[in-house]
Amino acid sequence: MRHQLKFTIVLLIIGFLVAIQYNTVQKPAERDTRDMWAIRFELSNEQKMHSDLLNEIRNLDKTIQTYQSLNEENAETALQDTVEDLRKQAGMTDIVGPGLIIEVNPSPESIAIGAEISDISPDLLTRFVNELNRVEWQALEIDGKRYTSLSSIRDINGYTTVNGLNVASPPFLIKVVTDTIEDSEKAYNGLHASLIHDDFYLDDLLLKIGMPMERVEVKGWKEKINNLYLKELPKGE
Amino acid sequence: MMWLPLLGLILGVTLGLLSDIQIPQIYSNYLSIAILAALDSLFGGMRASLQQVYDDKIFITGFFFNIVLAIGLAFLGVHLGLDLYLAAIFAFGIRLFQNIAIIRRILLTKWANRKKNQE
Repeated sequence: MRHQLKFTIVLLIIGFLVAIQYNTVQKPAERDTRDMWAIRFELSNEQKMHSDLLNEIRNLDKTIQTYQSLNEENAETALQDTVEDLRKQAGMTDIVGPGLIIEVNPSPESIAIGAEISDISPDLLTRFVNELNRVEWQALEIDGKRYTSLSSIRDINGYTTVNGLNVASPPFLIKVVTDTIEDSEKAYNGLHASLIHDDFYLDDLLLKIGMPMERVEVKGWKEKINNLYLKELPKGE
Repeated sequence: MMWLPLLGLILGVTLGLLSDIQIPQIYSNYLSIAILAALDSLFGGMRASLQQVYDDKIFITGFFFNIVLAIGLAFLGVHLGLDLYLAAIFAFGIRLFQNIAIIRRILLTKWANRKKNQE
């Protein structure tokens, strides 16, 4: 019995050593290889998120206050306001605000040699939207079709479509509405500096970015939004 | 009668995995040699106990001494620029095989004897 105890202790030590070795070999500690600038960048991102979240909390607090301060007759109005807000967020209402108007034209070279005007490809349009996403914008309209978070840019039977509607052959207009005129200026500068022009030029297209304007109107997306995943709660819950 | 040591092994492995201790990569060589030395002592002890020559003192001192010696040899090797740890691996490896072979033979003989007795 005494030997057994010794063997047990020895095996316990061996097991422990093997497990530690396994830990060391299988799961090497991840080293943080970011330099100071990468960390600063991440910090600034987090701070921005922080301030965005605070903003959102403030807005929601305001909504709660409105609900609480109103008496029952006005509760409906408050609800209507919220619904209107949500509609606006979903891109169902017309929006007027400071923004940019961008013209997509055939390039002068392609006109000079008489090349056939090619439609904009869905890939290029998606790339453009991605490029625009670098800056803050509120609403976007591509050739009269409102682009929302539920919109799709696709090739349907050889035609480029937004929300299932054909995009005209160039020239056509892209309208961007931003929250403030400063954001418009940022978008203007960002798009001017971006490499997206080269991509457009490869497709014989030219992007003419208009100066920031105080008043740009973007139409709402009037079609019903198909709700695939949200379900209504039973009443009284 | 085998259960208690097996339980010890399982307990050790669980403890090690749960505690999530890691040692720096450069020391993992030493640890692997220490494990080899420990295994050598363990099988030596098992053989001795099967051959009825088991001695507590030899087993326990051998266990710790072998580990320290192996690590010391590897450490010295690193500082001399000589792969001395190979000597430890070689010695312990050979002894491990020999011990396991002897254990196997003893167990086989025991098993054959028991069968003969039953007949």
